[in-house]
Amino acid sequence: MAVDQNLATLEEKPLIRDYWDKFQRRTGIIVTLVQSGFVFTFIVCLKAMDILNADWWLVAMIGVFAAAISSACAIALTFALARPLRDLVRAIVLVAGEPTALTPPNPNIPRYEKDGFRDILQTVYELASRDSPSSEPTTSDDTLTSGINNIKTGIVILDNQQKIIFSNKAAPVRTDQDGAQTLELFFPDDDSLQAWLKRTSKNKLTAERQWTRVSDKLPGEKSRRLFDVAASYRKNNPAETVLTLFDRTNIYTPEEDELDFISFAAHELRGPITVIRGYLDVLSEELQPKLEQDQVVLMQRLIVASNRLTSYVNNILNASRYDRRHFKLHISEDTIATIYNSVADDMQLRASAQNRVLAVDIPENLPTVAADNNAVGEVLSNLIDNAIKYSNEGGLVQVIARTVPGFVEVSVIDRGIGMPVSVLPNLFHKFYRSHRSRETVAGTGIGLYICKAIVASHGGSITARSIENEGSTFSFTLPIYDTVAAKLEANGNDNLALVEHGSGWIRNHSLYRG
Amino acid sequence: MSIKTILVIEDDRFIGEMYVRSLKKAGYDVDWMIGGNDGLIAARNKQYDLILLDIMLPERRGNEIMDALRGKEDLIPNTKIIILTNFEQDEESRMAMEHHADGYLIKAEITPKKLLGVIKSLQ
Repeated sequence: MAVDQNLATLEEKPLIRDYWDKFQRRTGIIVTLVQSGFVFTFIVCLKAMDILNADWWLVAMIGVFAAAISSACAIALTFALARPLRDLVRAIVLVAGEPTALTPPNPNIPRYEKDGFRDILQTVYELASRDSPSSEPTTSDDTLTSGINNIKTGIVILDNQQKIIFSNKAAPVRTDQDGAQTLELFFPDDDSLQAWLKRTSKNKLTAERQWTRVSDKLPGEKSRRLFDVAASYRKNNPAETVLTLFDRTNIYTPEEDELDFISFAAHELRGPITVIRGYLDVLSEELQPKLEQDQVVLMQRLIVASNRLTSYVNNILNASRYDRRHFKLHISEDTIATIYNSVADDMQLRASAQNRVLAVDIPENLPTVAADNNAVGEVLSNLIDNAIKYSNEGGLVQVIARTVPGFVEVSVIDRGIGMPVSVLPNLFHKFYRSHRSRETVAGTGIGLYICKAIVASHGGSITARSIENEGSTFSFTLPIYDTVAAKLEANGNDNLALVEHGSGWIRNHSLYRG
Repeated sequence: MSIKTILVIEDDRFIGEMYVRSLKKAGYDVDWMIGGNDGLIAARNKQYDLILLDIMLPERRGNEIMDALRGKEDLIPNTKIIILTNFEQDEESRMAMEHHADGYLIKAEITPKKLLGVIKSLQ
């Protein structure tokens, strides 16, 4: 529609390129008339004043001849002087996009450089290129698209609404029934493309970013690919974000096998752990009447150590699963009290065996949370275990729960050795252990990493506060069930009676764990 | 349904003996098979109230046994099956669900005492 209108107005409007011809005609006639009239009258005047001594017919002949010659000279001179005007018209004809066979005037000829006209021509060209970048003749869109579709590197272009406006064949983009396109890439939860774009669009005009090992499918799914992703952001450009995806599946897949090995080795460890925990369970009960008081304490220590071993193996398995994006939560409506109860015996035993006092204050009237019972149990057990490890003999470890807007917050507080503020930002990194903790307490540095992963996967957050030599407080939040219930139902996550995770599920019955 | 007879299919001798000992002490009638083939034969030849099934087994894996017992048709409609494994993967737990197991537990997390609690809760 708009194009048709343009054509119509183009036909009615005189073309710019016609101006030069008209100018030539009009100027030619005027210059000829004026110049020849001038010269002819001059010759006639000479005869009338008797300066020219010739017959009238000869005078007329000379007059016409002189007029013709001088007119021709005047026209040539005028057109030579008007050449900049000609080139200006040609340049405007070209940038206006009118059909023409003319070559663009060169602004860099010596004459234009000398008289300064070069700047005017260049300005015309610059203004034109600023307004319509696509006006220069290039390869046709079809050729370009088929070329880009044939390369193995994925290309995706997003507009300023982060909508896909272009993607080639190699890019992992899914088109649904309504024609809406989504990028199928699993970025890390705490380092996603969307989060980066949100930050970047607020603070920056241009930005570049790279991610490695971004997969388009979950582990185990068919034809899974792993990409290195480069993002390039230009604010207010029609193609605001350009993503380039390099397929590195062949390089990264062997590394995945190594991760499989870690996970396999951890599974192997579970065999002996099963036997140790099982027989300890049996023996502690059967031997109880016969044991001396100090032997009971030794037995308890054995149980605590084997429970801890189980937790460590679970941490390794969870971290390995999380790193491979294989970590799935099974969210249901639950209370913090129920979740705590599933680990309560183990925690009380761990505290008393190490001469700590564990005080738990979880009010009964707290709202229910959307949580994976097992996973959150592991968060609690990691945090309480840390609080026990890093507090002093006879020290108090508190577990407190309360409501904050939209969430239930659980805090684990110790009055132990604490940490300097400088180590706090690194606490939740994998294998991070503060200098002091390396010297004083054994551990893998993986517990807080997996705690953060679990809490973040629930949509909550985890924070640490600490004062050196006074103690530390670790707090995490879980969404109140009512605030996310609609979303969970929409996702078909209705396995309320079915809890599946680290220690399994049992149909329609509460879960058992160590 | 009250559970009286239990079949344990478990190749680890220590773990198998541990379960069998506890279950017998609790008064259940327990048979124990070590290999996958023997396990499947036992499950088909005698009607048990409950089968505790390991996944990583010699000859025939646990999920194959599930498939044979409850794949096309339910050959043991009156028997409950609990998968007991240390090798949990989402794939396998999904398969176990698809094959209608009544439970899926991690051995390292379940002490004999807790297993007795689970069995009681099934009745």
